[in-house]
Amino acid sequence: MDIDPLLEITGLTKNFGGVVALAQVDLRVMPGQIASLIGPNGAGKTTLFNCVTGLMAPTTGKISFQQQDIFGTSAHQVAMNGIARTFQNIRLFSEMTVLDNVRIGCHTQSRGYLWSAISRNRAYREEELQITTDAQELLQFVNLENFATQIAGNLSYGDQRRLEIARALATNPKLLLLDEPAAGMNPQETNDLIALIRSIRERNITVFLIEHDMKLVMRISEWITVLNYGQKISQGPPEVVQSDPRVIEAYLGQSAGSNH
Amino acid sequence: MISMSSILSSRSGLILFFLCLVPLATAYLDQGDYLLRICSTAYLYMLLALGLNVVTGFTGLLDLGYVGFYLIGGYTAGLLMARLGWSYWAALPVAAIHGGLWGLLRGAPTLRLTGDYFAIVTFGFSELLFRIVKNEEWLIGGPNGFVNDIPAPTLFGYELWQYWQQYYHILILLILTLLVVYRLHNSRIGRAWQAISQDEEAAQTMGINLHEYKSLAFAISAAIGAIGGAFFAQFQVNISAGVFEFWESILILCMIVLGGIGTLKGALIGAAILGSLGEVLRISLSWMRLPADSRYLIFGAILVMMMRFRPAGILRSTQKSP
Repeated sequence: MDIDPLLEITGLTKNFGGVVALAQVDLRVMPGQIASLIGPNGAGKTTLFNCVTGLMAPTTGKISFQQQDIFGTSAHQVAMNGIARTFQNIRLFSEMTVLDNVRIGCHTQSRGYLWSAISRNRAYREEELQITTDAQELLQFVNLENFATQIAGNLSYGDQRRLEIARALATNPKLLLLDEPAAGMNPQETNDLIALIRSIRERNITVFLIEHDMKLVMRISEWITVLNYGQKISQGPPEVVQSDPRVIEAYLGQSAGSNH
Repeated sequence: MISMSSILSSRSGLILFFLCLVPLATAYLDQGDYLLRICSTAYLYMLLALGLNVVTGFTGLLDLGYVGFYLIGGYTAGLLMARLGWSYWAALPVAAIHGGLWGLLRGAPTLRLTGDYFAIVTFGFSELLFRIVKNEEWLIGGPNGFVNDIPAPTLFGYELWQYWQQYYHILILLILTLLVVYRLHNSRIGRAWQAISQDEEAAQTMGINLHEYKSLAFAISAAIGAIGGAFFAQFQVNISAGVFEFWESILILCMIVLGGIGTLKGALIGAAILGSLGEVLRISLSWMRLPADSRYLIFGAILVMMMRFRPAGILRSTQKSP
């Protein structure tokens, strides 16, 4: 009995003028998985995330989410459909409070508009209460409930990363894309992150992450896809990928012959 | 809904109470009418500042042509009332809707472009309107766009032309506008606007439709400007193109910068200061036989000093609070 993939990418290609960022990439993420996307710097991983989430328009290819074609769908619509993401360089709304950051995430789950905002009718008040309750619950989930009234920009680096995850979860996604969530974290924080990702999966959210921390990747992933120079060069469970000579060469070649 | 007792017991309630008493106090003063006029002008600028704040403060897009909507409101209401005999109570909403429509139309071509293009389009738009009104003869009739004898609104048979009546009139308009803008700011819509102003791409990944929310801000901001213009038309009784120059847009921008961009209190305070100062200067400069427009020199000096000593505005706050 075959289960349909949650996210299916076929022949995805992205050109920036003469530069080929992604070349005919195929990959699948199955529902309930924790999957990873790895590869040397510049391999096209974030570009792939940008294409899936609608922030960039791919050149050609096919992207389906829950068997629906989302190629070329606008970014806000992709979020409404149930794909959320975090960013490599943390893009919080840093001048707003921690709670407000998560409450903005609840935008997809609410509908209050002009009339309810101006009249403050019962529908408005109930919805605002629901939003605040949901936001607080998510802050508890990531252990940030004591920071609710702090300005997001004042948080420590690790706390900001967790806040970004809470904000993404507020959109009630079925697929969560994490772009280098462990960057800059010490081993303790990384362990906490692993626990967090597992408990996110327990909420029936599929996690697809980009990471450079190989220990994290190998410990947590059920399926790994490897990109290099925009092409998929390997895929499979951790044991397969870490002994794949093409993968080893891609990483060694990067550091040995690197010119940056 | 807000209860009356909670309004009266708060600090804003107290301020409001005293503001309502001003006409009583000025009745005993020699220059009472001047004072009422200065206050009314300040309230009008406060209303306009709130309107501009919806686009520039909340959504973070620089609007350099806000006077355009002031103009649309003034001429729509002025023409309807003076030439077609419409009542103010009908002309006001029509002017607001007309302004809102143009807010949408003006902003639509810029939705896919960066904020710089928006600033340029806003500037061009208001200049275009100004020159049309100044030069065309068919619609408005006569060079320099004179519309004269705009009547004051009538309520229960009384014509509300007197200074103290105008005072309460604009005060009520201001309070209603403040209520609407405050409630929008502290709602799902206001949060979406704030998100857009801080990081458009991140906002999109939260499901916020940029085109929709920017257009909403454009329309509301423009409608408020038009309401201000409509009030101004009957307040001034005679309007002409000369009032709606580019400098008014910059002046209103200065007001929200002075008070602190993005905050409602800041917009109100900046407008109260510069609006009343402007009226005082206009009167006293011409009394001193200096050109009234030289008050803009003083505004410029204030702005430069603000940028040097208090760039975040008078109400220095790191958090966007109302």
